[in-house]
Amino acid sequence: MNQPVTGAQPARLHDRYPDLGRGPLPVAPYIDPAYWELEKAHVFKKTWLHVGRVEEIPTAGDYFVKDLAACDASIIVVRTRSGAVKAFHNVCSHRLNKVVYEPCGKVRKFFCKFHGWAYDLDGRLTGVPDEAAFEADFDKETHGLTPVSCDVWQGFVFINMDPAPALSLADFMAPMFGGLEGYPFHMFTACYGWSTVVNCNWKMVLDAFQETYHVGYVHGRSIADALEKTDTGSPHPIDGLCGDFHRRLSIAGNPKSVYGNPKAATTGASAAAEALAGSNRPIATAALRLAQGGTKLSFDEVRLPDGLNWTRHPNWAFDINCVFPEFYLSTRPNYFQAYNFRPISHDKTLFEARVYYPEMKTAGGRFYQEYMKVALRDVLLEDLSTLEHTQAAAATGAKDHMVLQDFEIMVRHGAVVVDRLIRAGLEADRARA
Amino acid sequence: MTPSPAVLPAAFADLAPFTAWALPTETARNRRRLASDMGEIRAFAEAMLPRLDAIAAHLDGFDLDALPKPEADLFAMMLSVAEIAPAIESYDQPAVCDGYDSARFPAVESHRLRPAF
Repeated sequence: MNQPVTGAQPARLHDRYPDLGRGPLPVAPYIDPAYWELEKAHVFKKTWLHVGRVEEIPTAGDYFVKDLAACDASIIVVRTRSGAVKAFHNVCSHRLNKVVYEPCGKVRKFFCKFHGWAYDLDGRLTGVPDEAAFEADFDKETHGLTPVSCDVWQGFVFINMDPAPALSLADFMAPMFGGLEGYPFHMFTACYGWSTVVNCNWKMVLDAFQETYHVGYVHGRSIADALEKTDTGSPHPIDGLCGDFHRRLSIAGNPKSVYGNPKAATTGASAAAEALAGSNRPIATAALRLAQGGTKLSFDEVRLPDGLNWTRHPNWAFDINCVFPEFYLSTRPNYFQAYNFRPISHDKTLFEARVYYPEMKTAGGRFYQEYMKVALRDVLLEDLSTLEHTQAAAATGAKDHMVLQDFEIMVRHGAVVVDRLIRAGLEADRARA
Repeated sequence: MTPSPAVLPAAFADLAPFTAWALPTETARNRRRLASDMGEIRAFAEAMLPRLDAIAAHLDGFDLDALPKPEADLFAMMLSVAEIAPAIESYDQPAVCDGYDSARFPAVESHRLRPAF
């Protein structure tokens, strides 16, 4: 099911994935609070969720906290003295205060501010003031922080609320993203980010990022000209892959644009000249010209894995990798984006957007990076612009289904997988009862 | 808050009328863009564009992580040119057309991997 397809484009993606169906998509999962409760129980509390990068916690005692509403949990992720990355519930074993209040930081131990209980970086309870006043058989060994399943894929830290996950993180990722392993995520260490709470269902937000049909319209003023258009004038993806959980889209750029020609920033003069020749944007042109040779890393040393641009399209610009359920990872030759659409309720989502570039050593390189970053931020403001209106429109109940075209198959795939897992979860609950 | 008046390196003294754009963070630069009209934005871009190569060359003579105040202000002005680029090149107005409120989408200025500048 996940075999990359090379050569000619498929006639229709829906022909390749008949099990996903073709009919209109029900609106209820986007607006129904009861469906959201099912998603929490059968999807979010049972699957791997991306929470950050290992570079955020480089040395022992570095930690960050993620509050995950979909899991009813606040999770500490910490680098231990042995160099491992571990996760714990942010809940004291005594009378349940949080042991960490800050979103990130560095500690020697975790101290509860209520009664001073202390935990080491492996979650072991090591200090209890006035310990003798507890019962005689009180055993610190049995009162550590509650661990949460935690693993790392390509430098991305994932947690899983299931203490014994049905699939290891490696087995979860490999079928769709094995070919992405080796991508130089660790080399792109200049990170910029933004966040917002948008009053919209998490799937509605994610869906806005997993098709290119909207690009000509929502991004008509900004980056639409950076994507390669087909003869219908619409930017079609080069190809799309749907797996058991995850999905991927491969996207072609317009080499005669600064934003859509990634080679211009990596292979230097000739590609840059091509991009500049097509640019009628004086600041973009200056940014690309000044960027040449500006990165600290040499792109000659960067080896991109075969799983990137799996069709070997000459004008390939980037791949969109949707890691189930709500992690969006867009991989390009010279940088990557990592977005999370963390649900808060059936109609509220925390959108955390991060973009990771190579570090720049020159002022011109940094100027180019600022240009690309600001352009991206403004494009995201365009993406976000429709969402709350869409959610409000969906909530009116005027439509009980939405209609999809072939290249919106990723919207369908996401909905189908969530629905499949909820059905399986309900079935398993019934079998146990 | 009144920023301390910027004094640019001597070779760039002609850019003194635009030092209000010498703002150290993306948030501040975006706020200024949105508070400006297109006349102000275009005047700033027209003054800066012919000088960008010279500014970049001048700044590369310094350690970017430890710039003296005049160079840091000049660098911040250069980054403000990137901030206003979409206003000029995409929207023909200061804000994103029909865009989400950027005040609701704040930059995470404190991220551990965020470059100092």
